[in-house]
Amino acid sequence: MPIVKKTTSAVKNRVERKQGRDCSTLLRQLSDKNPIARRWAVKDLVDCLDVSDELVELLRWEEDSSVREIILTTLTRRADEQAVAGLVECLRSEDASLRNEAIEAMKLLPDEVAPIMGLLLADADPDVRIFAVNVMESLRHEKVEKWLKEVIECDPHVNVCATAVDLLGEVGTPYSREALENLKMRFPGEPYIRFAADLALKRILSI
Amino acid sequence: MAELTISMEDFLKFREYFYRKTGIQFDDAKRYFVDRRLIERVETTDSRNFRNYFMMLRFEASGEELQALTNLMTVNETYFFREEYQFKCLVNSILPELTKSRKNQGPIRIWSMPSSSGEEAYSIAMYLLEYWPGINQWDVEIISSDIDTKILDQARRGYYSPRSVANLPKNLLSKYFSVSGEGFQICDDLKEAVEFTRVNLMNSVDVRGYRGFDVIFCRNLLIYFDDLSRRQAADTFYDALHPGGFLCLGHSESMSRISSLYQARKFSDSVVYQKSKEAR
Repeated sequence: MPIVKKTTSAVKNRVERKQGRDCSTLLRQLSDKNPIARRWAVKDLVDCLDVSDELVELLRWEEDSSVREIILTTLTRRADEQAVAGLVECLRSEDASLRNEAIEAMKLLPDEVAPIMGLLLADADPDVRIFAVNVMESLRHEKVEKWLKEVIECDPHVNVCATAVDLLGEVGTPYSREALENLKMRFPGEPYIRFAADLALKRILSI
Repeated sequence: MAELTISMEDFLKFREYFYRKTGIQFDDAKRYFVDRRLIERVETTDSRNFRNYFMMLRFEASGEELQALTNLMTVNETYFFREEYQFKCLVNSILPELTKSRKNQGPIRIWSMPSSSGEEAYSIAMYLLEYWPGINQWDVEIISSDIDTKILDQARRGYYSPRSVANLPKNLLSKYFSVSGEGFQICDDLKEAVEFTRVNLMNSVDVRGYRGFDVIFCRNLLIYFDDLSRRQAADTFYDALHPGGFLCLGHSESMSRISSLYQARKFSDSVVYQKSKEAR
């Protein structure tokens, strides 16, 4: 029988590191020319104090997708105030991919995003309010429907309400019924709002 | 906190919903089986009670919870040659492509996880020996890992129930196993072919040494993780794979929703995920 080789060194128990893993060395490695060094530095920074600002800054210029992805995972794992604030700032970026990455990361942080959701939904920029609704798309938080209901009751911008009503069609319950009915009256000249609100109502009432 | 229970009304409501979604019907005799798994998912998702969980299940946009529950309701235990189409893909497509582009004669390295009681890793070894001509030219290292040390001991012992080997062709059963008591003992050659190791995929220290793999099998594990843990696992596999290496997930799992670092590759036998050849 041919041999499938068993090896005693299949797993390297000790990986030799070229550079130190203390936090200050890791921070310096964020500007290393080698993306592998940057990726591992980001990965190992997960437990260092007060480094989220640096990670968010790196996210703004980093071009290597494998480094970008580990920055987002690391920020999500850290989930500290700076990390969340940095992700929120990314929502204001002109870079669409950065905005989308921030939205995806924030979806994973229901407990950290919940306290600032009110502020996001009250932001002066309607685009930020739309992104906040996008975050709710798969945010595992009990207040999602309440927030969406408030959006369709109060937000003056039709596009923000349209985004919210689409989502209510998926996650809404009879709790939002009246707000959906009223929404059609708030925007009587917007056929899409009427269509989306009716669709959401149909789904909700068929539960 | 009050103990979670599933009422008859809950059970009937769920049964009807699940049947409409999957076509799978549970009769009343399956009540205990269904209740246990529902309670497990209510707890895992922190839903607190069936009502909350059922609302989330029905309206979750991604459908991931329904997928996780579906797998829980349908998975029993692992067995030899489970999801065999991926082993076919390994010998018919993945390994020929890998060996064609290989610049050195180093061993092909395969990581199978979670190991469970070893059926997957031994199946890979058998499949290579039986159906891959390249085994005569290439050394292969198969490492199989699990977080559970007891199940790893069981895997190393290589003793299996008739049910576990039921899917094996008879000629392979008689070639690689001997009858022992009421079960089957795998041969020493296969036991020597696989190295079993304990690893927690979520522990960065545990996984740091797992590098330089050509193929990783991680089937029906990620469905039990939350989104962040899935991303961590995807990062770990990315670092563990050689550039151009392949990741094989379970039939209901997709890397596309977890990470953008892998390219889906559709072969005739299966869809698998590949780390870019240009990656470093």
